[in-house]
Amino acid sequence: MRLRSFRTSADGRALAGVCAGIAEALSVDVSLVRLIFALLALAGGAGIVLYLALWAWSRAQGTWWAVLLLLVAGALLLSAVGLSHRAVGGIVLVAAGLTLAWRQGGSFRAEAPLSYAGMALAGIGAIVLLAQGSAPSRLLAPGAVAGALLLIAGPWLWRLALERDAERATRIRTEERADVAGRVHDSVLQTLALIQRHASEPRRVASLARRQERELRGWLYADRPLGDDGSSLVAALSTAAADVEELHGVRVEIASAGDAPPDNALLLAAREAMTNAAKFAGVEEIDVYVEASEHETAVFVRDRGVGFDVATAPEGRQGIRESIKGRLERAGGTAVVTSVPGEGTEVELRLPR
Amino acid sequence: MKTRVLLVDDHGLFLAGVRAELGDSVEVVGEAGTVADAVPLIKELDPDVVLLDVHLPDGSGDAIINAVAAERPGVKFLALSVSDAAEDVIAVIRAGARGYVTKTIAADELAAAIERVAHGDAVFSPRLAGFVLDAFRAGETVASDAELNELTPREREVLQLIARGYMYKEIAARLHLSVKTIESHVSSVLRKLQLSTRHELTRWATEHRLV
Repeated sequence: MRLRSFRTSADGRALAGVCAGIAEALSVDVSLVRLIFALLALAGGAGIVLYLALWAWSRAQGTWWAVLLLLVAGALLLSAVGLSHRAVGGIVLVAAGLTLAWRQGGSFRAEAPLSYAGMALAGIGAIVLLAQGSAPSRLLAPGAVAGALLLIAGPWLWRLALERDAERATRIRTEERADVAGRVHDSVLQTLALIQRHASEPRRVASLARRQERELRGWLYADRPLGDDGSSLVAALSTAAADVEELHGVRVEIASAGDAPPDNALLLAAREAMTNAAKFAGVEEIDVYVEASEHETAVFVRDRGVGFDVATAPEGRQGIRESIKGRLERAGGTAVVTSVPGEGTEVELRLPR
Repeated sequence: MKTRVLLVDDHGLFLAGVRAELGDSVEVVGEAGTVADAVPLIKELDPDVVLLDVHLPDGSGDAIINAVAAERPGVKFLALSVSDAAEDVIAVIRAGARGYVTKTIAADELAAAIERVAHGDAVFSPRLAGFVLDAFRAGETVASDAELNELTPREREVLQLIARGYMYKEIAARLHLSVKTIESHVSSVLRKLQLSTRHELTRWATEHRLV
């Protein structure tokens, strides 16, 4: 409230600077304020007392004698306006009571007995006003009581609302933080703990970090779901690649040009090729490239590992013969495995659309 | 003489890692973490290659290229990124970067990529190769500048092998060409990527994220 911070003004003061201070606080012209005070001074000297009261208030804000002076000034003012003494007395009592109540923290919660005394005083003032009998006061009184209640309860309600808003904001922030903390705890912290426990196994550490990276990306870039929604071969292959990464501690890089609906034979064969590369090639990284055109879908799985002689592949390499070639051929496609010992292996899967 | 490299990345830990990985293969002349820091530093140090993160706290990598290219035409840019929207990668390439690699790239491959870029050649990660193939997909015929908007069968072949994870010398051996020829094909693709008016380039980039 502006008046709370009311100060006399040293700039452009004529006497104590009260008028200039008011003009400053209300941003009005100082001459207007002086004129009002001069007129009030004519009204039974109220202006002079008011001036003194305000000056006292600005010197020693909130002291009882400053308040008293203000009340006297107010009473003189009201008498000058023509109210009866009883009415003025009632109003002054109400004002004094309110002042007491306000000063004790401005709320019902104030435990100080003075605030109850203040309210009692205000109540007496109201009764005096009501009992006063003259018609305008009777009309005025209920409004005065309502106003008084509002004045007493207002600050309390206001503060209650502010507190509730602050509380809600804090709660939302806390909930958000708890959500992030929960996720970080469930994922990142767990992974970090695991990494510390497996610090001597680089492959395991790499695969843990990789899985965590994928999860975090999925969460951060939720607008592009990394999960397999069943409509995209590339997405399905990414999921399969993630499994292989996790199981075998390798990294699978997927590049693509175009996309197609997922095909089970192609998917399983590609997965088998990735698994083979992860198990036998002795490499840390596998490249997968998907190319989808109107005529066919092709998947290439390549490693730069130890390689093997395709012609003399041991019988144990059932995976290639059955899971890759057989599966693709039954689906109407082709699978070609090229490998050079020491240079790596590539499995080429093609399926007409 | 060693290639003089300037690193631009806002992740201190990553910078330290790259510095350690590159070791003695190149000379790291400086580091910057923001667009505002990088621009004057590049002008001052005039490095051979700037290794550039696509995302920086105060802007994206292409802002640096745009601010520097006119004054220091000799400086080559290689974009390096961990997670990125395709539109940013394409913006960096179209602004003039000579290549794009992911942050998971092996140390020796990164050193090789820097050398390649320093010599004016282009470097594509498999993912970027896949993207280019997708964006330059046959089918759409553009009347003007057909040369810029289409890939030759040979370029397509080379890009396809890059996407499949082959290195330049492996591609050269497979196609019975010299590494020099492969490099010139890739550079030609880069030029098309930078100058092409194919609207797929921008449309594709906004629809996809190269994550």
